[in-house]
Amino acid sequence: MSTPSDRRSLSLRLRLALWSAALAGGALLGFALLSSWLIYQAKLDSLDARLQSAGPLARPSGPGDRRDVFPDGDREAFAPDPEAALAQDLGLPADAEVGLLLVNRAGEVVYQSPQWPATLPQMFLQPGQFDGDRFRQRSRHLTTVRSVDGPWRVAVRTTPLGQLAIAANLSALRQEMATLRRIYAVTIPGLLLAIGGGAWVLAGQALRPVRQLSQSIGQVTAQGLHQRLPADPDPEFAPLITAFNAMLERLERSFHQASRFSGDAAHELKTPLTILQGELERAMQQVETGSGTQQTLGQLLDQVHHLSSIVRKLLLLSLADAGQMSIQRQPVDFSALVQDQLEDLSLLAPDLAISAEIEPGVIVAGDRDLLGQVVQNLITNAAKYNLPQGWVRVQLQPHPSQVHLTIANATTSLTTKEASRLFDRFYRGQTARDRPTDGLGLGLSLAREIARAHGGDLVFTPSSPGEASFSLYLPAR
Amino acid sequence: MNVLLVEDEARIASFVAQGLQEQGFVVETCANGTEGYALARDRTYDVVLLDIMVPGMDGLAVLKALRGAGQTVPVILITARNELDDRLAGLNLGADDYIAKPFYVEELVARIHAVVRRTSGDRQNILTAGPLRLDRITRDVTCGSQRVELTAREFNLLEYLMRSPGRVFTRTQILEHVWGYDFNPSTNVVDVAIQRLRKKLDPLEAAYWIESVRGVGYRFRAEVSE
Repeated sequence: MSTPSDRRSLSLRLRLALWSAALAGGALLGFALLSSWLIYQAKLDSLDARLQSAGPLARPSGPGDRRDVFPDGDREAFAPDPEAALAQDLGLPADAEVGLLLVNRAGEVVYQSPQWPATLPQMFLQPGQFDGDRFRQRSRHLTTVRSVDGPWRVAVRTTPLGQLAIAANLSALRQEMATLRRIYAVTIPGLLLAIGGGAWVLAGQALRPVRQLSQSIGQVTAQGLHQRLPADPDPEFAPLITAFNAMLERLERSFHQASRFSGDAAHELKTPLTILQGELERAMQQVETGSGTQQTLGQLLDQVHHLSSIVRKLLLLSLADAGQMSIQRQPVDFSALVQDQLEDLSLLAPDLAISAEIEPGVIVAGDRDLLGQVVQNLITNAAKYNLPQGWVRVQLQPHPSQVHLTIANATTSLTTKEASRLFDRFYRGQTARDRPTDGLGLGLSLAREIARAHGGDLVFTPSSPGEASFSLYLPAR
Repeated sequence: MNVLLVEDEARIASFVAQGLQEQGFVVETCANGTEGYALARDRTYDVVLLDIMVPGMDGLAVLKALRGAGQTVPVILITARNELDDRLAGLNLGADDYIAKPFYVEELVARIHAVVRRTSGDRQNILTAGPLRLDRITRDVTCGSQRVELTAREFNLLEYLMRSPGRVFTRTQILEHVWGYDFNPSTNVVDVAIQRLRKKLDPLEAAYWIESVRGVGYRFRAEVSE
């Protein structure tokens, strides 16, 4: 849970879970809206149908059967509770709010239920509407009317005897719908949670092979390039594993090539150098001491030595480039090593002011020779690129996790471009070329590779003008 | 002293053999690892010089086989290959020392002496020249009855020059051996160090022994010279 790769896979997992929950949520919400609308419409339709078909006039014993009563509006002639019978007809509970309004041809109200909504206008019961064809055309009329006590569905029917209006309060229906919505409101989030959780688990399972794969890749790269990933029976991952193994094979081949090249080149280059150096050395001892020939031979010997040194550095760099600079780690007293190299600095450049703060007893794990080379390179550079009567400052500080060596010297200011090219191979700063100091453009590059092979680094630290400062970091033992 | 040199490059073998013979060694050369192994196993040498890259068994295999057969003869490996890995492998397999190509024969001679001294328990640790006496173990330098106080570098410098009297060394050679500098053009370090060394030896009239060779470097006078 702590490595970045884990965090990335978790976030993908979370994203998958959230996306599935969001998609499912959208679908469920749509379904809920549509279904409640459809259910409402269906209920309304069936109510309408009943409002139209059922009715007191159709019942033999209902008020509509008593044609004689209709005109004179004798309320006593009605059944004791016509609304209950009506509710029953409409398929509503007996206590449902239904209303009945009877109007005779003359436009007089023959019967009005007590619960007939007071605000419900009687606009649709206009006497003038009973005439002629218009009357027949509009013989059936359904409408929803809002009143104080909720919406009412009103069916108006015109009969030869007069007009009949049946109203049913829709609040019951609305309440049913509200109940439905409440059910949805409870079940949908629950479902979403379940879906999100399920997606989370599924995504985790789907990503598990990826995690296993990255684990085995990590092991393979740590153990060496000759390792291969075991084949995965899963058809989804088989191509990935094949591709990765093919990549490893290519890498291994090119690494081997690089290392074989550096080995072969070393042999091919060093053999003639050895012969040259050995013969020159012998010849130099055989000629007359102090003769011109001996001087020439001595100079040639030094040049061969110079060439050997370049070859050696190039080979070490090619090893480092191939990632094969293997470090034989042994405890090295780094303080003593730096102190030792520093002693030579006073011989090398007696006119420099040297200040050193070296914490004694700093031990690092590394290759003594290579580390010595790094420090030597830094110190000789500090002398070589210094100003006349300049200064050198050396600081060695141990920190809990790393050892920090700073070597700074007075110098003419470096341009940013020069500073950025300091570690380039065979590059020498302008100041170096202007002056008779000779040097190799390989030293710093190699020093950095050695530092990195030790798990540390060597950097040029930007500092005040007129000062060049290098920082060497090595892991503490 | 008998030396077996296993080296397939004829010219290297030739100048090494000559250089060693001049120093009084008896040298037998062999250009093949397998033959070299047979020789080293069956005969008695004081030291075996083993090039790692030779035909037949390679140097490391020869070394492994020798040590496996219980042969304790001192072995110095010579290598041109990846020095980091070879050095490690060689020392793990029981090599006594290791020298990288290109090398100076003078350096090889010094290593042979050091290895033989170490393995035989021989106490040839005293170098003398006239009144000068240098003890490699105690690192004491005396001139007649007087002790000379030298720094570690000065001691190494004097020891390097003293062990090959009459031999001329370039400043670069001295710098590499005494200071371990890979290559450094500032060879005036050597001059400064030699001056200081001479200054310390001068009151004892021993500075004479360190001779400047114009245009080349320095040498320690041979006792029988002139």
